[in-house]
Amino acid sequence: MNNLLIEKTQSTPTIQFDFLSNVLKISGESFPENTAKFYSPVLEWLREYIEQLDSATEVTMEFNIIYFNSSTSKIFMTIFDMLEGAVENGKKICVNWRCDEKNETAIECGEEFKEDLDVLPFNLIIEGDQ
Amino acid sequence: MNFDLYDFYEEVKTKRILYFYCGPIAHSSIEAASYTLRKHLQFEEAGNSTTQAVFSIFIEQAQNILNYSAEKLGNQEDDQENELRIGVVVIGNEGDGGYFIYCGNRIHTKDITQLESKIEAVRNLSKEELKALYKEKRRKEPEPGSKGAGLGLIEIARKSSRPLEYNFSPINESFSFFSIRVVVER
Repeated sequence: MNNLLIEKTQSTPTIQFDFLSNVLKISGESFPENTAKFYSPVLEWLREYIEQLDSATEVTMEFNIIYFNSSTSKIFMTIFDMLEGAVENGKKICVNWRCDEKNETAIECGEEFKEDLDVLPFNLIIEGDQ
Repeated sequence: MNFDLYDFYEEVKTKRILYFYCGPIAHSSIEAASYTLRKHLQFEEAGNSTTQAVFSIFIEQAQNILNYSAEKLGNQEDDQENELRIGVVVIGNEGDGGYFIYCGNRIHTKDITQLESKIEAVRNLSKEELKALYKEKRRKEPEPGSKGAGLGLIEIARKSSRPLEYNFSPINESFSFFSIRVVVER
């Protein structure tokens, strides 16, 4: 499987899905013109990736999002539901939801995703100024 | 036409308008405006939560114009991907350190009832009820005719400090002007 790399724009995040290291990163802003269209290859890659995943491999999905709009929120929920399904099937996946300590909105959004998930390990990581 | 640019500039300054735009909106206009809007709010020391709320309401409203305004630039029936839709956006200071985000666009008069019921369905809900509704809709299929997730209005209501204010003004038999005004207090 190939890696998935998408460079950021002013309204779309950087996507770095590394097949070999099993670290999948989404970072930046997300308010695309057409959210479904932007995330369609991302969801497609994830589906294929989960399919080929064995239950020994440890996967980390890193989110570091400054702002995302409401249609992105729905896509993220779809991603978490996919991961949750995979965890139920014995895959080892965890999500790190990283946010700046000053970004209260991103922290709250992370908490709200976490509340809606049962088995997917979802770590809220609050970071100070570097 | 008697239009004095300096008078206009002074009025905008006096009324403490941060941003205004009237005309065709492209996604790139939203990107550009979002950059200056954030800088402006930081400069005004609006605070992170207030800045994020104003920013978020602006994006949702501007994207609503882009998706749903019934007024388009020219006749672009064959180029739906790149069509520009027309609307008006004003962001200004409201009371003690608060802000208003005021947007408007043409809609088809026949769509008023549906839009009104969507707004009424969220405008008097508590923050807890809005959160529950947001989470419920986030996992549901979007309604027919929706171009996004159908969460925009709930998101706007969640970030608003007061019940949403909105209005429909008749233009002619087919069209009306829809406006929505949202206030974020500090």
